[in-house]
Amino acid sequence: MRVFIAGKGTISAIGNNCTESWEALHSLRSGIGRITILPTIYADALPAGEIKLSNQELADAAGMDACTSRTALISAIAAKEALRDSGIDIKKYRTGFISANTVGGMDKTEIVYSKYLEKKTDTQLTGVVHHDSGSITELVADVLGINDFVSTISTACSSSANSMMYGARLIKSNLLDVVIAGGVDSMSRFTISGFNALMILDNKPCVPCDENRNGLNLGEGAGYVVLVSERVAKDLGKNLNIILSGYANANDAFHQTASSPDGKGNFLAMTGALKMSALQPSQINYINLHGTGTKNNDLAEGLAVQKVFEKVPHCSSTKCYTGHTLGASAGVEAVYSLLSMEHSTIIPNLRFETQMKELNFAPSTSLIENIELNHMLSNSFGFGGNCSSLIFSKTSSI
Amino acid sequence: MENSNETMSVHGEIFINGASCISPQPTFDNTAFLTEVKTHASNKIYAVEPNYSMYLDAIAIRRMSRIVKFGTTAGLMALKDSGIENPDVISTATGYGLLEMSQRFLQDCVASGEGIVSPTTFIQSTHNTVSANIAIIIGCNAHNNTFSQKGFSFESTLYDAFLMMQEGAKKILVGAYEEVGEFNYAAMLQAGELKKEPCNNLETFHYNNNGCILGEGAAFFVLENEKRANTYAKLIGFHTFLNGDNSNFPIEEIEAFFAKQGIETSAVDVVLTGINGNKQSDNVLQNGIEEIFANSTTAAFKHLCGEYMTATAFAFWIAAMMLKTNSVPDVLVLKNANRKPTTILVYNTYLHYHSLMLFQNV
Amino acid sequence: MEDLIATLKQQIVEQLNLQHLKAEEIGSDQPLFGEGLGLDSIDALELIVLLQQKYGIKLANPAEGPQIFQTVRTMAEFISANQKA
Repeated sequence: MRVFIAGKGTISAIGNNCTESWEALHSLRSGIGRITILPTIYADALPAGEIKLSNQELADAAGMDACTSRTALISAIAAKEALRDSGIDIKKYRTGFISANTVGGMDKTEIVYSKYLEKKTDTQLTGVVHHDSGSITELVADVLGINDFVSTISTACSSSANSMMYGARLIKSNLLDVVIAGGVDSMSRFTISGFNALMILDNKPCVPCDENRNGLNLGEGAGYVVLVSERVAKDLGKNLNIILSGYANANDAFHQTASSPDGKGNFLAMTGALKMSALQPSQINYINLHGTGTKNNDLAEGLAVQKVFEKVPHCSSTKCYTGHTLGASAGVEAVYSLLSMEHSTIIPNLRFETQMKELNFAPSTSLIENIELNHMLSNSFGFGGNCSSLIFSKTSSI
Repeated sequence: MENSNETMSVHGEIFINGASCISPQPTFDNTAFLTEVKTHASNKIYAVEPNYSMYLDAIAIRRMSRIVKFGTTAGLMALKDSGIENPDVISTATGYGLLEMSQRFLQDCVASGEGIVSPTTFIQSTHNTVSANIAIIIGCNAHNNTFSQKGFSFESTLYDAFLMMQEGAKKILVGAYEEVGEFNYAAMLQAGELKKEPCNNLETFHYNNNGCILGEGAAFFVLENEKRANTYAKLIGFHTFLNGDNSNFPIEEIEAFFAKQGIETSAVDVVLTGINGNKQSDNVLQNGIEEIFANSTTAAFKHLCGEYMTATAFAFWIAAMMLKTNSVPDVLVLKNANRKPTTILVYNTYLHYHSLMLFQNV
Repeated sequence: MEDLIATLKQQIVEQLNLQHLKAEEIGSDQPLFGEGLGLDSIDALELIVLLQQKYGIKLANPAEGPQIFQTVRTMAEFISANQKA
């Protein structure tokens, strides 16, 4: 059974919805810059892809309370856009919300924790019990009015891809008809400190896939797609013609944070997705690379891509624009891949100068318009060796 | 296994061919089933931990917090128990995640004013650390997931197992892990969610007040679509739902589940309920169960393991062990209907998250 | 130098949580990474933290690590040469 994409929604440093995001991508405009919303000593030192909206502004857009975790606010905005985009009345169908995040409500926890450490007896701790990843998803499910099933996946940077796969499988097994799937993550000092301790942050705007890359920039955002069964796609009568044709989740089983030198997990994820979609590598028109900008990821991914593709298709990393949105990245990048397909346009890397010496290919460096895009591969590889790849394909309209 | 048209309801046969449990009771040795029961005089109870050096090497252990040790070890124990070395799927769950390391990292961040901090603590704080560890230790490149959705966390892994079996996966490792974190404990205490001390876990249901006892533990299972000589039991149906009006017992959902399963509620020998000592919600659950399962033995498990988001994994272990040993240990029983355990229902609630898991002997 | 080496061994055991080893058991010229003590890239980062926290030496580029952290002795020599007064 084919699983159709009926809607999409996203918010990140480059735009608060799909239209704005596409406009930025098409104009080659990056959202990476000074951190101005999150109070941190690294505001000037570490560029990031921050959404330039305060929590109050996000709350107004989401229709939620301003004291809600920023993670939930961002998630709600993108998920609501996706649902609206689909035009679906979820009361008619068995509907699930499968989200992903790595930080949960850490933006709130870290504030409370500082006060807790000062041992002030009047510190209000009770909110902490609602800062887990699942609570964030529950808040957004409530806003969307979804209560048939909710779940959250937390597998580092591959999280949202796994959400989309889980959602597709739930539909194919006839457990649900409609699934809003994707993920979110928001900026927090916890995350900045963690990545800084791993010494994989670039103190300049990142240059993924470049020989002289120096690390990643963090980002925040959310990206969701609305997955529907064939029956629902037909019901909608919108001539939907894009499906999630293939996907695979593999594990590198090498190290907690580093990819294996030859990118074994990456290779297995890409080949697994191709196998499910019954496509030859030569049929893939574009790869949205995971392309974080770290020495390790870009090499492992590059080598794996070369191994899968005899001739590497057009490819790029949109993290040049948004930074690495962690748990949200697969969701955000799925939406960008779908927008590319819709507009028959390939978005290039930014700031790329030198091809990596180990690789026989380089990412696209200029906009390619009016190009037929039938099959798009999107990679997301995370800590814990969690490697996931998704393939979106054009199919006959339904 | 096939689904029914009822939302998120799965019916069929999944065989439990390996199991392990590390809990606040001495359960990690599968040969004894609750012959020894531990009393904890506190509103937070900690796991009885095994000797990890039998499963984890010294270089690896040094980085691991308790939850990573007992989570990883429980996974390895279940695999050893099943005789399977390389599963087709590893699917795990945790509600609150790795709290000790998260807290320690936060502490480092605050103490250093966002300055120099240990990378190890950060890496070991991510939810997927345990499933990654298991994969690294056994060299498993297969499908690997970690779920975190409150009272549906462990249940999400069961759906994952079912979904992957639909695509041909044969050997599936599922499990869950949860730890008592000091900061979260303080928050729950302040929120009035816990029993006031002094209290004692074995008396959990005898206190006529609200609040529960916070627990922790890990339980893992190897699931296959075929019966083996070492099969514990089979999972024949499971269902989850969000009970919007949690002050009402959801009789229709339960009756619909059994109708789809094609068996009568009277066929259930033992109902293992998720009452947790919070009298208000416990009364709703107990009264409802008494009504539908009037002739079944009723039992409980959270006085042994405490309350936590993935406690259903502990219940899963209890059900599997009851069926394997053909016994219902007295310490579990609330009302004894003297029924031989051949069909067991686990009915758990975590706030408004409700789950049903139906097991039979093989 | 020998005092520094002895102190460093103790600090390494603590920083890397090498609970199964006593400081004296680490050979001064024993390779720390690869075959020797079997440390990995995360341990290398922890040693960078150690240099900064205990000796005030900031290593901006982790690529310099392998050379400095070959053995306890090479670490001690680096510290001697670079420690701020």
